[in-house]
Amino acid sequence: MHDQHIASAFDRDLEAIQARIMKMGGLVETAILDAAQSLVDRDEEAAEKVRAGDKAIDALEELINEESARLIALRSPTAIDLRLVLSVMKIAGNLERIGDYAKNMAKRTGVLIQMSPIEGTHAALRRMAREVQLMLKDALDAYIRRDADLARDVIQRDRDVDQMYNALFREFLTFMLEDPRNITACMHLHFIAKNNERMGDHVTSIAEQVVYLVSGEKPDDNRPKEDKTSTDISVAPDAARLGANKET
Amino acid sequence: MYDSPKAEAKVDQKEIKIAAEGVQVYYGETHAIKDVDVRIEDKTVTAFIGPSGCGKSTFLRCLNRMNDTIDIARVEGTILLDGEDIYDKRVDPVQLRAKVGMVFQKPNPFPKSIYDNIAYGPRIHGLAKNKADLDEIVERALRRGAIWNEVKDRLHAPGTGLSGGQQQRLCIARAVATEPEVLLMDEPCSALDPIATGQVEELIDELRENYSVVIVTHSMQQAARVSQKTAFFHLGHLVEYGETGQIFTNPQDPRTESYITGRIG
Amino acid sequence: MTDATHPAAAPRPGRASSILEQDARTKKRNAAEARFKIYGIAAIGVGLFFLVVLLFAIVRNGIPAFTQTFIEVEIALPADRLDPDGNRNPEEMKKVSTFGYKPVIEAGLVQAIEAAGIEIPFEDKDDVADILSAAAPAQVRDMVLANPDLVGETVAFRFLASSRVDGYMKGRVTRDSLVRDKNLDAEHLDVADAMAEAGMLERTFNWSFILGADASESRPEQAGIGVAMIGSFFMMLVVLALALPIGVAASIYLEEFAPKNRWTDLIEVNISNLAAVPSIVFGILGLAVFIQIAYLPQSAPLVGGLVLTLMTLPTVIISTRASLKAVPPSIRDAALGVGASKMQATFHHVLPLAMPGILTGTIIGLAQALGETAPLLLIGMVGYIASNYPDGIASGFMDPNSAMPAQIYEWAKRADPAYYERAWGGIIILLLFLMTMNIIAIILRRRFERRW
Repeated sequence: MHDQHIASAFDRDLEAIQARIMKMGGLVETAILDAAQSLVDRDEEAAEKVRAGDKAIDALEELINEESARLIALRSPTAIDLRLVLSVMKIAGNLERIGDYAKNMAKRTGVLIQMSPIEGTHAALRRMAREVQLMLKDALDAYIRRDADLARDVIQRDRDVDQMYNALFREFLTFMLEDPRNITACMHLHFIAKNNERMGDHVTSIAEQVVYLVSGEKPDDNRPKEDKTSTDISVAPDAARLGANKET
Repeated sequence: MYDSPKAEAKVDQKEIKIAAEGVQVYYGETHAIKDVDVRIEDKTVTAFIGPSGCGKSTFLRCLNRMNDTIDIARVEGTILLDGEDIYDKRVDPVQLRAKVGMVFQKPNPFPKSIYDNIAYGPRIHGLAKNKADLDEIVERALRRGAIWNEVKDRLHAPGTGLSGGQQQRLCIARAVATEPEVLLMDEPCSALDPIATGQVEELIDELRENYSVVIVTHSMQQAARVSQKTAFFHLGHLVEYGETGQIFTNPQDPRTESYITGRIG
Repeated sequence: MTDATHPAAAPRPGRASSILEQDARTKKRNAAEARFKIYGIAAIGVGLFFLVVLLFAIVRNGIPAFTQTFIEVEIALPADRLDPDGNRNPEEMKKVSTFGYKPVIEAGLVQAIEAAGIEIPFEDKDDVADILSAAAPAQVRDMVLANPDLVGETVAFRFLASSRVDGYMKGRVTRDSLVRDKNLDAEHLDVADAMAEAGMLERTFNWSFILGADASESRPEQAGIGVAMIGSFFMMLVVLALALPIGVAASIYLEEFAPKNRWTDLIEVNISNLAAVPSIVFGILGLAVFIQIAYLPQSAPLVGGLVLTLMTLPTVIISTRASLKAVPPSIRDAALGVGASKMQATFHHVLPLAMPGILTGTIIGLAQALGETAPLLLIGMVGYIASNYPDGIASGFMDPNSAMPAQIYEWAKRADPAYYERAWGGIIILLLFLMTMNIIAIILRRRFERRW
């Protein structure tokens, strides 16, 4: 892929550290999917597994940071080697946060299982999670292949995730207005949806690191922000449905 | 050199090749090396770093008794090679130097052919029984010196006709031709350009499979790249000696940290 | 802002002066350097001038020595005079001395001259024989004793002309200068001229000057430098065989192995001083040690060689030390690092590299020794006349002989102007010798240096 360093040990070090990132990425992808699936399946054991698995992810991040520090101290990397090490450290940080969000999803799933399910939401959440996981997979692929175009594409896809979050936000508002008994469950579900949206942002950050690694510059700051919920008061519950439900 | 800390723990139980205890070196009245204790491991690259005049080269030259050639130098203390004191009266320095080879700062091939450069050591130590033997020794040494492919067609060309990096690799090949157990290198790359330096460093990494290598360098980055253990010398004292990764990420002695971060000369 | 298109504009503000103008200091300095160059060239010019004058003088004075006047004449060899017994027995014929041959030659010469139609303006016609060298009778006698069958025949001989006649042919001798000369009269010169016209007398290249032996004071025409050359040659052999090994070995020891203490410092200082000792002191030393104490034969090339060895040793030692010092210490370190002992390092590595310098120093020392006269005076190589070729190698060393510079000095001392001319000729030969040695030095140097 790249030219070899004269010191072959340097190449080995760099490959080792990238292998760790890929491993961490795989663990995180699995965590996302498992957390979402456990919600759909209302499987408490699966959720517990995801929570326990986060320890391994945290340990990997620490290891990667240690090894990056060693690499910088011992090899004095420059240019692309330096960007590589720096990007590895940031991506590890991002992955660790994503892992935490997945763990959080699993935690709330554990709580939700004890309440009655709300129609239609779980599948939507799973779709959202799946979308995030695909983004993450593509971002990591872009990293390994040093494919800046794929990375840019991933950045754009965050828009979809944001839109999904908007839709879910409206739906939750609707549910909560419909039936106050839903509020607790909806709050948890909302947090899960928010976590997913945050995960999408972190994946975007990973993709930006890829662009920096390849081109040496940060991508322009036109990261798409479709999340209107924090700014736009016009995100209102679905009045039509509300009205329909009130009558029943 | 990158081995993960966990992996290092496994190989930490290497044999001690050279054990120096209470070594003092005097140049006339000057006390150049003060009370140095160090244990050099086998099949490892050990780097000596430190500012100019700190004594690292002086100590290195004690290890193969090259200081004997300087009249006013006096060495005290014990230096054991595989448990035997190299300053014992029964030891012939000439024989010792076949076991402890040396490579110098400026590449210094003999003004003879490449073949004769390598063959000289084995000849005078009687290591070859006949010409075929000698040819084999020469080829093996040139391969170990990572220079065989470049010179195999011109073994009888003069050694001085090679480039700087090739000459230094030739000198390394010459040093390993006598089948030493330890290789001492006194700033072997300081006269070379970066590419040649990289080639020699890669060679040093390969050499540690078979030899114990001690390298004096004034470049900390080189020590960081090439060695597994590092010793920091300052004003004749051995200040700190430890695993290279740990010295460069978290040294114990503040003097070491000052030197490595570039805060003292 | 300076206008870039006008380079002659005033300098940019902030800079004191324009670099396009030389300031006073620079001009003075340049002038001083130019003067210095002129002085140097003038010095070289003066040196070259003297060199040219010297060479010119040498060549002009010395070249005539290489030619000699010969007289070709047929001499009848009467049997009654030369072989009274009639046996053609050389042992018997030896009883006739050179004195007995003189009349034979005189008669033969008179006959040959009159046969050529040349008038002999002397009362006693035999006087004309003075134009021949005094060596002529001996030459004929040797011929007859070697070939007894020639008795009774008329044989053509090629005689050396007497040195006055030779001088006349070379322009050295004139009729006026002969007025007070006992050996020859102006009439002899007329006969000589006539004989030259008739083709009996000619001036040709004289090999025996180069190859022949020295002769007595009265016979400069016969003198040659050949035997002295052999004497010099044997002396050089002795010097080479002794000074080179001893000097190089001493040097190597002093440079590589000797401890650096007061004694070695003392020795070093003394060696440098020895190089400056007047050479005649070595002559006295040689006389005292080799001749009086060791009873070696006086005037022998062996003794001369020994004395010159003592003289050359300091030169060899000093130049060897300089060559050894010039070998970079990295080579020694490299050899020691590979496990060579000091001796091996020195002989396998340092010495071959120092060879060019050592050889040059040795040959320079040899060339100096070749030209030394003073020490040879005291051991007797000047007083002796080198008149015989040595019989073999042993006698070449042990038989009394002379050396080239000593021979030249001897010739220059003698009264006869013909010897003076030969001294110049000897100088030419000596210079040729030295040039050859220097060329050999250069060739050897090149040969060794290529191995670097």
